[in-house]
Amino acid sequence: MKKSKLFGLIAVSLFVGTVTQISNASAACDKSQIRFVNSMREISQPYHGDLDKGGRLFVQWAGLSDSQYVLQLNQGDTDKQVSLMRSLLATNPGCTIFNVEPNNLPAVRQMVEIANQTGAWIVTHWSHPDGFEPFNGNDHWIGHVGVNGLDQGESISKELVKAMGGEGGIVALQGILDNKPAQLRFAGLKKVIAANSKVTLLDQQTANWDRTQAFPIVQAWLAKYGDKIKGIWAANDDMALGAVEALRAAGLAGKIPVVGADGIPAAIEAVSKGEMVATASTDAYYQGSIGFAMGYCVLTGQVPPPKQWTNEHRDFYLRLITITKDNVNQYLKPPPASAFAGDWACDKIWSRDTGAAS
Amino acid sequence: MDRTPTGVIQWPSLAARDGNMRKVIGVLREMAVTWGPALALVILYTAFSIGDARFASLANLKTLASQSAIPLILATGMTYVILQGSIDLSVEGVMAVSSLSCAMLLRNSRTGFDLGVIALLVGICVGAMFGTLNGILITRLRIPSFMVTLGIWSVTSGIAMLISGGQPPEIRDMSIRGWALGETIGVPNLTLVALVCLVIGYLLQNFTRFGRYTYVIGGSEEIAKLSGVRINFYKVLGFGLCGLTAGLGGVLESARLGLGHVEIGAQQMFLTLTAVVIGGTSLSGGRGGVIQSAVGVLILTVLANGMIFIGVTPYLQKAVQGVIILVAVVAATWRFRARLRVVK
Repeated sequence: MKKSKLFGLIAVSLFVGTVTQISNASAACDKSQIRFVNSMREISQPYHGDLDKGGRLFVQWAGLSDSQYVLQLNQGDTDKQVSLMRSLLATNPGCTIFNVEPNNLPAVRQMVEIANQTGAWIVTHWSHPDGFEPFNGNDHWIGHVGVNGLDQGESISKELVKAMGGEGGIVALQGILDNKPAQLRFAGLKKVIAANSKVTLLDQQTANWDRTQAFPIVQAWLAKYGDKIKGIWAANDDMALGAVEALRAAGLAGKIPVVGADGIPAAIEAVSKGEMVATASTDAYYQGSIGFAMGYCVLTGQVPPPKQWTNEHRDFYLRLITITKDNVNQYLKPPPASAFAGDWACDKIWSRDTGAAS
Repeated sequence: MDRTPTGVIQWPSLAARDGNMRKVIGVLREMAVTWGPALALVILYTAFSIGDARFASLANLKTLASQSAIPLILATGMTYVILQGSIDLSVEGVMAVSSLSCAMLLRNSRTGFDLGVIALLVGICVGAMFGTLNGILITRLRIPSFMVTLGIWSVTSGIAMLISGGQPPEIRDMSIRGWALGETIGVPNLTLVALVCLVIGYLLQNFTRFGRYTYVIGGSEEIAKLSGVRINFYKVLGFGLCGLTAGLGGVLESARLGLGHVEIGAQQMFLTLTAVVIGGTSLSGGRGGVIQSAVGVLILTVLANGMIFIGVTPYLQKAVQGVIILVAVVAATWRFRARLRVVK
């Protein structure tokens, strides 16, 4: 057993060595050979639907065939996310680019290690384990596009306080409590409250990111606090929309400002109707495609191999878009591919870099 | 006294006293079982009212009525399935399919349909259809309800996911939305629907053959079969009814939230089961009823709402809820604990 395992390892490492050499030597794959894999949880939420659409949009924009695009859904199962990746890489790993919405932090490590072993390329999103970085010898981990939850929470909180005229009570709907983005977004709210002495936090409850669960909580708040509530803060748009509906039932929709985050279509519509004040979008189309743009530029030799990039270029926080009534019109319809030309072109792939992620 | 076997020497007076004592204890026990959950509800309600006077306000009574509407509907159907000694785990999936099929047929952000009330009926029928399918698979293939409904849960979630395709339809039919969010003489419309459901459930349970046979089947399927009861038929009917209420729940929740969504019934299944059991309906079947389940629903609603009022930190709410549910179940079902061992 041990011997065969050892042989296996040697064989794999020889194979990997060869692949790496080839890909480094020529730094190129034939365009039609490149596979673009979007790995994500599911597509029942608009956010994920938009990730998928963004990926497809890029493939079309680059003039490639739709058959080169692969969608891998793991239904929230980390093992599945990893094994789907592994099984696809049985063929042509060196010309395969993974754009990954990781299920959790361990998934990032496992998927990056597979990329390193097989010679596939990977770009990750949201967050990665502390101290595990692309530039620490993970040459096939092209980069990580992080989202700064604190910024997200802060930007919508500022809009909320502005809409409240700088004073009054806020109630806050939190995401899943032990979830890092949920904690960071809430920390953003607390920071803004600390900076505005006339604003108080009346209560905070968790609705687990969910619209159905937000509805009864907001109903209870309205019964408990009545007109003391001057603003409703939600850690995501789905809960914000649940709040809007509870307000509608009480005849208060549009009268009490509500903010959310993520920038899902229904929330953007609510902003345009004046039922929500703001949402902070990571731009799912961008997240669903930027990994492909980076990988495509690397594999076609239009940018140097990632290990020559600066550390910041390999791990940065992406620029968020705060959508309010002032700019909502441009986000009401699905964007055309041309809207991203300034992000996908090989000399512009860092256009939304706002600084190194910490 | 009558039952004392002849030929056994007895001290009549002592035996009579003993019998009376037993009768009194028996009656007391019976009362505790029947009124225990209702008493628990009153205690919870009073405690929260003392904790925060606003809890007992008219505004919050309305909130409680609105919040218990959909769980009441779901629990009514679920009670029948559990009374028959089965279980239905497919509620959330069925709610999802009903929600999406209804939302896609109302005026919405995805399709060109605008069928109004017909769309609601279609959604409810889809629910009833999957419920009936549950029943047919269970009775014809003789697979335990646990497995079949678990499978149907997946199937229906999958279908819902397919219909949704990542773009949950937003409902734009404002007359239906307005009705679902509105109220009549101070009572939320959905609560009125729930009350009608409850009354129908109660009448079915007490005044029809279906209701009586449901208890017989739950008490002992063998005996029911030997007595010539068409078990399979009434079981299919029970599951059909449960599917129908799930469909109704999904449709109404969609109309209220303005959205057809795969997760429209998230966490409703366990909530419903808990409510039914807390109310005193035995998981092994044959004991309980829709009114008891309604009390169970009210206990859970008051609990979730009350914790917000007295300011239990969200980090603790789940744990507090769990403890209270455990206490309530133990209190309500202490006498039947041997019978309750469905899972050993």
